[in-house]
Amino acid sequence: MDRSILVPTRKSRTEMLSFIEATINGILMGGLYGFIAVSLSLIFGVAKIVNFAHGAFLMVAMFLVYWILVLLKIDPYVSAVLAAVFLFFFGYFFQNVFIEPILRREKETAPLTVILLTSGLMLVLENVALLLFGADYRMVKTSYTGKVWDIGGLLIVQPRLIGFILSLFLIFLTEIYLRKTNLGRAIRATSQDREAARLMGIDDYKVYKVVFGIGSTMLGFAASFLVPFYFIHPAIGELFVLKSFVIVVLGGLGSISGAFLAGIIVGLIESLGAQFINSAMVESLIFIIFIACLVVRPTGLLGKQRE
Amino acid sequence: MKTKRIFFAALGSILWFASGLSYAQQEVKVGVLIPLSGGLAVIGENLQMAHDFAVKEINEAGGIKSLKGAKIKLIYADTRGDSKIGMSEAERLILREGVVAIVGAFQSSVSYTSTEVAEKHQVPYLVPNSLMDAITERGFKYTFRVERKGSLWAKDQIDFIVDMGKATGKPAKTIGVVYENTDMGQTIAKGIRKYAPEKGLTIVLDEGYPQRTADMTPVVLKTKRANPDVIILNSYISDAILLIRTIADQRVNPIAFLGSSSGYSDPSFIKEVGKLAEYFSDLTEWSTDLTHTPLVQEKNAAYKKWNKDHRDFNGGAAFCYASTYILYEALEKAASYDPKRIRDAFAAVKITKGPAMLIPWTPIEFDSEGQAEGARMIVVQYREGLRRTIWPFPIQTIKPIWPVPKWEERK
Repeated sequence: MDRSILVPTRKSRTEMLSFIEATINGILMGGLYGFIAVSLSLIFGVAKIVNFAHGAFLMVAMFLVYWILVLLKIDPYVSAVLAAVFLFFFGYFFQNVFIEPILRREKETAPLTVILLTSGLMLVLENVALLLFGADYRMVKTSYTGKVWDIGGLLIVQPRLIGFILSLFLIFLTEIYLRKTNLGRAIRATSQDREAARLMGIDDYKVYKVVFGIGSTMLGFAASFLVPFYFIHPAIGELFVLKSFVIVVLGGLGSISGAFLAGIIVGLIESLGAQFINSAMVESLIFIIFIACLVVRPTGLLGKQRE
Repeated sequence: MKTKRIFFAALGSILWFASGLSYAQQEVKVGVLIPLSGGLAVIGENLQMAHDFAVKEINEAGGIKSLKGAKIKLIYADTRGDSKIGMSEAERLILREGVVAIVGAFQSSVSYTSTEVAEKHQVPYLVPNSLMDAITERGFKYTFRVERKGSLWAKDQIDFIVDMGKATGKPAKTIGVVYENTDMGQTIAKGIRKYAPEKGLTIVLDEGYPQRTADMTPVVLKTKRANPDVIILNSYISDAILLIRTIADQRVNPIAFLGSSSGYSDPSFIKEVGKLAEYFSDLTEWSTDLTHTPLVQEKNAAYKKWNKDHRDFNGGAAFCYASTYILYEALEKAASYDPKRIRDAFAAVKITKGPAMLIPWTPIEFDSEGQAEGARMIVVQYREGLRRTIWPFPIQTIKPIWPVPKWEERK
């Protein structure tokens, strides 16, 4: 590195700004990664189902928000609620129609068939979208698309910050919901011990459906936060899915705040790491840190220790 | 047991009869490997349309005359943008579909592996779009490539930058290379590393990124800090869209942006980024404002009228269209369904007329390695949403803007 960093010149100022920007961007984008991963974490944590159709759900939600915006001219932040409600029922029925029959038949807690089923459904959803909407990349133009706050040379992309703040708020709400309401307690009970929860009179299949619904709801919101500054495409899920799995394990399976925190960590590694090493290497850096974290804390950052 | 034998006998005779029928219809089956699902599907569909248009024209004009008017039948195989799937699909096309030749596979990484399969089975493989040098440097007998080698793309890009500096009196001294990190991007980056120092240009940024990067901000911030005079970009489609949007958001202001076709020349790029593409330069194979033959205007107009989106040819599509005609010439010359004969015909083609001449050099022929001799490139600049030729200077159709306006000053 050159020494000019130590001297307050114009160049070093832009250097400093650029690192601060990279940090802020890492947090904002990481928060969104985390928020997207929350759904996966919740469903896995409670129902022990690995939902490989996770990315496809996000895609469905993004197309929904997109069409609501294009056809009904409703702003993504407003239609977020519509998308969330729709996705709740989408997830609920997905569990009800496709996964529950397998769970009832197989009697295992995590049958392999479910993995095949969810990955198959991912392909179906992606290809149906490809058939219906084509392979075009779509982008929306809202009043705040491409709007940047310029704070003394520090550039912050507006929709990213808005998305981050709303995600944080929703994570907070969900945590409260799981702690304070009866259904929330039932969900946590089922996640701790399905058999015991059932003996206490909890309808575990209903809990699964609700959890699938809530998880999908999160994706509905996430889609609305992404649409204003991202593109929409049938294969968009592929961009987020692998990262989501890493985040879920890193954050602790089933831990919502953990996933959010892990998302921010991954975002920071990605954004800051690329400033020092080649970005093609950053992906491996994420996995190195990921493995290191698991060696130190096998249950993830906020995961509960099990005996 | 006996009924089973009768059943198989019947089935056998039906199959025999059916195969006789298909022979009577006289079709030449040709496999086309392109990405038709996944992130690159939009590019694949664009190329597919160009192939279809050429085949429609050829078949309507009477098919392959030396094969009693046999029609060309294209069999598309989806690579999903994956080199392993590309290989297995090539195998399937040859062994199951019985194609006499293969055309494809757009991505360098997929062409590189799937040509190996064709070589093994001795089926000719025509590559319209992949630029990785090594594709035609392995001593293969059955691989023929129309595209110019990628390292020479890099040389053209450097020459363009130097020429523009001389012409405007505002020479660039530093360059940054930002590229997707598969065979395509690496080939060009390697070429830049070789040719830039020869022309006295310093490389201040050499950044490969994984193609499925979800957020381009880190790369763009790094580019902004390196502050190169010219940024050379090499991307497929989603990364191209994300990069240019992030560059605008972060107000990265070099003297010029220079793309390397592929994503930057795709019709969906300009459709999605719109005004942000303005003044963006792109090294490419082809443009609709070329004047080397009136066929350019003629065929582009016919294509535009025919296809459902009314889109123009871009470089990739024009090369797929022309390549289908090279295939046609080879089949005509071979007068045979035997892949080996067709291979020999490819090696001997020397095309100077016909729709294949959309390709801007003449004659079209392949050297002993199967590389098209005389392949050369142009540079276009996006101006009011159109791709206008700006380099080489003699065929320029608009005066280039150099340096490009700063983002803050654009409307």
